[in-house]
Amino acid sequence: MQHLGFSHNKIKIGSFDFTCCEGCQLQLANRESTLPAFLELLDIRNFREISSEKHDDYDIALVEGSITREDEVERLKTIRSNAKVLIAYGSCACFGGVNSLKNRFPLEESVKEVYGEKQIDTLPVRRVSDIVHVDFSIPGCPVSKEEVERIVVSVVTGSMIGLPKYPVCVECKQKLNTCLFDLGEICLGPITRAGCDAVCTTGKTPCLGCRGPAEDINFTSFTELVTEKQLPVDDMNEKLGFYNCFEEFRHDKS
Amino acid sequence: MHDMRFAVPGQDVNREPFADQVPDFHHRSSLMQTDKGYKCRITNIVPLTENEKLFQLRILDPDERNMFRFRPGQFLMLQVPGYGEVPISISSSTSNNEQVELCIRKAGHVTSALFEARTGARVAIRGPFGSSFPMEEMHGRHIILVAGGLGIAPLRAPLFWINDHRDCYGDVHMLYGTKERSQMLFTYQFEEWEKINHISMHTIVEKATPDWNGRTGMITELFDEIEIDPDNTYAIVCGPPVMFKFVCNYLDKQGIPMNRMFVSLERRMHCGMGKCCRCMVGSTFTCVDGPVFDYWSVMNLKEAI
Amino acid sequence: MIYKVIAKPEFEKFIDALVKANLSYGPQQVDTDKDGNPIYQFKEVKAVGDIAFDYTATASSAKHFLTPYRETLSHFTFANGDWEQDISYDSKPLVLIGLRPCDISAINILDDVLLNEHFPSPYYLARRKNTFIIGMDHLPLPDCFCKSLNHHTVTTGFNLFCSDIGDKYYLSINSSKAYNYLKEFDIADPTDEDDCKLIDRRKLIKQSFKTDVEVTGLPSFLDIEFDSPIWTKWGDKCLNCGTCAMVCPTCYCYNMEDRPDIDLKGSSRQKQLYSCNLVDFAEVAGGHNFRPKNGDRLKYRYYHHYLGFAENDNQPICVGCNRCGRACLADINPKDVINDLRMEKESCMICVSPSPDKT
Repeated sequence: MQHLGFSHNKIKIGSFDFTCCEGCQLQLANRESTLPAFLELLDIRNFREISSEKHDDYDIALVEGSITREDEVERLKTIRSNAKVLIAYGSCACFGGVNSLKNRFPLEESVKEVYGEKQIDTLPVRRVSDIVHVDFSIPGCPVSKEEVERIVVSVVTGSMIGLPKYPVCVECKQKLNTCLFDLGEICLGPITRAGCDAVCTTGKTPCLGCRGPAEDINFTSFTELVTEKQLPVDDMNEKLGFYNCFEEFRHDKS
Repeated sequence: MHDMRFAVPGQDVNREPFADQVPDFHHRSSLMQTDKGYKCRITNIVPLTENEKLFQLRILDPDERNMFRFRPGQFLMLQVPGYGEVPISISSSTSNNEQVELCIRKAGHVTSALFEARTGARVAIRGPFGSSFPMEEMHGRHIILVAGGLGIAPLRAPLFWINDHRDCYGDVHMLYGTKERSQMLFTYQFEEWEKINHISMHTIVEKATPDWNGRTGMITELFDEIEIDPDNTYAIVCGPPVMFKFVCNYLDKQGIPMNRMFVSLERRMHCGMGKCCRCMVGSTFTCVDGPVFDYWSVMNLKEAI
Repeated sequence: MIYKVIAKPEFEKFIDALVKANLSYGPQQVDTDKDGNPIYQFKEVKAVGDIAFDYTATASSAKHFLTPYRETLSHFTFANGDWEQDISYDSKPLVLIGLRPCDISAINILDDVLLNEHFPSPYYLARRKNTFIIGMDHLPLPDCFCKSLNHHTVTTGFNLFCSDIGDKYYLSINSSKAYNYLKEFDIADPTDEDDCKLIDRRKLIKQSFKTDVEVTGLPSFLDIEFDSPIWTKWGDKCLNCGTCAMVCPTCYCYNMEDRPDIDLKGSSRQKQLYSCNLVDFAEVAGGHNFRPKNGDRLKYRYYHHYLGFAENDNQPICVGCNRCGRACLADINPKDVINDLRMEKESCMICVSPSPDKT
């Protein structure tokens, strides 16, 4: 792509994980068909799933995972100060993710449940943007490699494309799937940001909203339709809370 | 082409080809419109303001260059392969095929990429598309051109047209307003237009800065500098919707019929051919029915302003 | 048009031969909904037995066979500061079986927009020319309102149309292709009795409609009711999910984007069907949105569907299949919206009650 008279530089990238399963980072090392070309775009300075080298001079920091310890807060702040652009990726980094379930119980109780009497340094789960400024978010549990590729390419070419603003229904209908509401299930597709190619609903699993709310969603209408269809509200709330993505819309916060 | 045969067992498949021949769309004129553009070289880039540059393009193929004709007010789709396509109004003279000028504001990712482009870079253009200003209908009349901000870009083509046919028109006034001096475009041409082409120029800024010694205020205030003969005047207005609403309402009060005021609308477009529907205003396509509308039509387009 | 009749077993033999030799799509049951009703879609069929001839209506229309949800229009290959653009609009021959009159009318409307205007789409044309369409009539569902829009019958746009007259199909043969293939099978000229049966069948279909949407004068109502509060009312329900446009047989609005290859050595120009209900449809560079509210966007879809655009001679593009109404989770359907609009309008006109406050 040199027809505009300039060539594209590799981007110096670092990838860092916090409280998470590292599944998103693994996702980046996946999709072997495009992996060599993908790595060609990058100058990897710090990425433990891909390379053992470690440097602190990266332009872009990919941050995975939620923040649950004091030392993580400090480490995140250092990364922010080193990076020109900080991208939160994965539902944990963007929204807190499944880890946020912990916040529903008193801290001591959850520590005791998991670790027994062992002393553990832990804080309530926070999203990356609760602590530092996030330039760009790539949600998903896990992230879609294709979307990450597209966004990395757009960073390299300098045309920062965004995420789809519309909900999963668009992609789901394009796959000719049967609407899960017709099958009597609650699906968060109508309010969740598209970009996943409706992978769950195509497999007949209701959307749990891992990609967070689409732009300008009509949350009131959504909850009304669940009630009107006489579907269990508890089930809806369970799904809404699953990845902690819809907190700003929920009224039932407990 | 695939081997398109419609086969029923036991039949001679060759007897009846299933597929009808698809006409050859590689024929130059039709494909140029639908997907393929005229390849161009960027011959010069003139920085105008912080966010606006003038790109001068030359169509590479000599035949295509000779074939490229447009009317004042029309736009083209500028293709930047790898980035996308954007509609841009043509800012140059209709009589000059050698060089197509586009005045571009950095707004989205395609234009941002273009801002990084160097002289010699290659892009492609599709078009021209859309309606144009009825320059012949205005013969023998006075013309008021009113531009706000970047709105001067689509007005350059009619202005050049007027310059080329200066004897055909009466008094020509150009009213131009911007937020501040630094955003005023093409100031280097004002003198030429004024002295050589006898266009009377009137400028105003909303916010005075030390480098400005002209008038300060809203563009409608400039009307006190000119006399309007409503029965013999046409107006061409381009700028933000709020601006043309005020300007056209003023001109309406002065007695200029709405069908003698022309405005150029701006919308997002993905095709230029009346297909993608992105540019719809009410039930009208900005790309094929517009971008130039008379003000009466705009008044009837409910989403226009 | 040539008219013939064919016995149902012979017809099945014909279809079987056809689908075995060609890439074919026909209605199939894909699911059963929570109330026990079958859900159908047009799916690939390999033998006549795969086709649910007794189907009611498919959840999604057949438009994506002609204008896919996502397609690559061309590909750029970059080299030496220049590029080559490969444009391909080849299309594999395709047989579509079991389309309803409204589905075929919808394709005729797409033809108007995408073929018969100033800038015909070669991509669409290639597909259209290579698609063999077999239509079949049916008794309307309770919510079908195609009759209101005069799309319950269709006379063009198909290769073959089959009307069910008991133990035979009454065939309307509309292309030499169809006629040639049918010649290989046992077909007969319709008898007077067959003709009577066809008339009875048509009568029965016509009388079976339970939903009527009054569309006379609708363009004028829509024009006048631009600021009507009913748009806010329905807009407040709308989820902006785009489902209506995706299942609609005539919604054709789209989005274009360039997607660079990951090695940056090329780039594809991709077209994706979009919907005016989606939040950023009318957003321009710089972020301004010309239709910021749900109601604005919903209204716009109704304007496109019932006011029509110049590109198809200002004809409504809705064919009355009510797929959007069935698919809408928020229970928005054309019948209710139009009736609401008409009531609002009529109550204003006769001044029985004051018009609701406009906001």
